[in-house]
Amino acid sequence: MRLRHYETLLLFNPDMNESERQEVIEDLTKVIEEQYKGKLVAKDEWGIRELAYPVKKHTRGYYLRLEYAVPADGVAELERKIRINEDIFKFLTVKLSDKFQEA
Amino acid sequence: MAIKFSPKKKFCRFCADKNLPLDYKRPDILKDFITETGKIMGRRITGTCAKHQRKLTREIKRARQMALLYYTSRHSIEINKKIEGAMK
Repeated sequence: MRLRHYETLLLFNPDMNESERQEVIEDLTKVIEEQYKGKLVAKDEWGIRELAYPVKKHTRGYYLRLEYAVPADGVAELERKIRINEDIFKFLTVKLSDKFQEA
Repeated sequence: MAIKFSPKKKFCRFCADKNLPLDYKRPDILKDFITETGKIMGRRITGTCAKHQRKLTREIKRARQMALLYYTSRHSIEINKKIEGAMK
């Protein structure tokens, strides 16, 4: 299936420890790369940032940006996985392009 | 003769500088286009062109969703801190 180029910004619970978070990230990467034979282009960790407004009573949060290419179904599965996780407060997926060219 | 008031000519910042990113990931830039209370400023005030204003609106809304920008100043952590500080 044709790969499309997406980007997802995730907001994690700031109280989460590093290893727990890495586990979640690895899990999501697996969905992208193994389950849907896509490609992770960039993993951009912004780290802990102050939020503009409190989210679940937290004033800070850990941001992570993933840039990847998957077929359209892959996004649905990825978002399903994200929704299950209670330590991910917010997420936003943006389609960057309908086509994906490997650099 | 009456003196005519001539305000400074406004221009679209995104047209003037093509490298200026218009992106929800840059709340520092988007902040210039919202009021203190958090509303999106109109084109007639900021001088942004129609094309960029449409994109700007979209990106501001995305930034709000991700808690990068506040919806209203009442919810803003940054502004509430200032008010608390002033009360002391």
